[in-house]
Amino acid sequence: MARLDTMPEPMRSHLAELPCPTFDTRPWVSGPPLSRRRVAIISTAGVHRRGDRPFEGMTGDFRVIPHTCTAKDLVMTHISTNFDRTGFQQDWNVVFPLDRIRELAFDSTIGSVANFHYSFMGAADPAVMETAAEKLAGLLTGDRVDAALLVPV
Amino acid sequence: MAHYLETRGIPTTQISLIKEHTQKIQPPRAIWVSFALGRPLGLPGNRGFQLQVIEAALALLEAPKGPVLADFPHDVPEHTPPSEDSLDLPACPISFAGPVTHATEMEKLLAAFRQEMAEFRSWYDIGLEKRGYSAVIYFSPDAVLQVLSDFLSGNPLTLEENMSSPASALRFAAQDLKSIYFESVMFRPDMVLTDDAAFTRWFWQKTAAGAILRAVKEKCSASDDKALKMTGDMLLVPLDQA
Repeated sequence: MARLDTMPEPMRSHLAELPCPTFDTRPWVSGPPLSRRRVAIISTAGVHRRGDRPFEGMTGDFRVIPHTCTAKDLVMTHISTNFDRTGFQQDWNVVFPLDRIRELAFDSTIGSVANFHYSFMGAADPAVMETAAEKLAGLLTGDRVDAALLVPV
Repeated sequence: MAHYLETRGIPTTQISLIKEHTQKIQPPRAIWVSFALGRPLGLPGNRGFQLQVIEAALALLEAPKGPVLADFPHDVPEHTPPSEDSLDLPACPISFAGPVTHATEMEKLLAAFRQEMAEFRSWYDIGLEKRGYSAVIYFSPDAVLQVLSDFLSGNPLTLEENMSSPASALRFAAQDLKSIYFESVMFRPDMVLTDDAAFTRWFWQKTAAGAILRAVKEKCSASDDKALKMTGDMLLVPLDQA
């Protein structure tokens, strides 16, 4: 269970003490109804295409995952050993739910699936994440994405 | 990330695993789930449950104002972890409770690891053939045996060009070793995972492979090489199994 109060030590303290950024502003962008939105997945699970560069450190770099990617194409090189990977090994959708997003587009719950999705390795310094987000915002805008679904691990 | 993207005009919504973090950061929209780390959509192989989680996250895009942090109303079904003795999984017959310090102990451990791997790799190969893919990325069963045995025996490591350093190679080999064992367990008819954490408990408490990774961790942590030391201290054995 990812409930801090019931998590055994030393994981509880490790997670409780992780620094979290705070912000003075509260940005809020509205958009069309969900049925017209174009959705992209942004994962922090350190997943990438099998032949792509592995994640090596917390530098805010990211990998591109095309919408045509399938379970056999995606691997995980997140450096942390403190989370369970067996769910991902059984079913990639439990971490990177691209099949589910495709189904939601098929039944018109959402408008469409973005051509490109993205993966980071979480826990990087917020300053480097801001630089990465700037690049990412341009890529998402170019792909006409108006719903980014952020999925942690 | 959500704050930065929203600032640049991209509407975001997210799944949150650690509520306390999300309450501090206050991203525009988040749905908090109570699932284990590593399983943000809750249940592998359960399409309906996964859709409920995603739809709950996406529904927040239609909230009139924010920031909004909502609780996902369902937990995954609870399992009571069995006591250690009742784990329905085979155990390596040799006990490796303490640190391996003598050369003869290391030889025994490596021999037990080779024997255990030989047994498991048949099931790994069967699983690979059946599924057509594997989470293993860089190190085949033979290559895992080779790199970990060489490291623990003090032999120079022979690394492929795609390995940036011995530290990276050991980290990837450790990850691939766990993947090989898990995919073997998935296909063995005599092994039953009673709950989501059963594999982790079994791997670290009952197998020669787990003892091998602990020995690699100890050796890395004692190294003068900064990357090896960091890998040993942080990246080979989970905090709750160290």
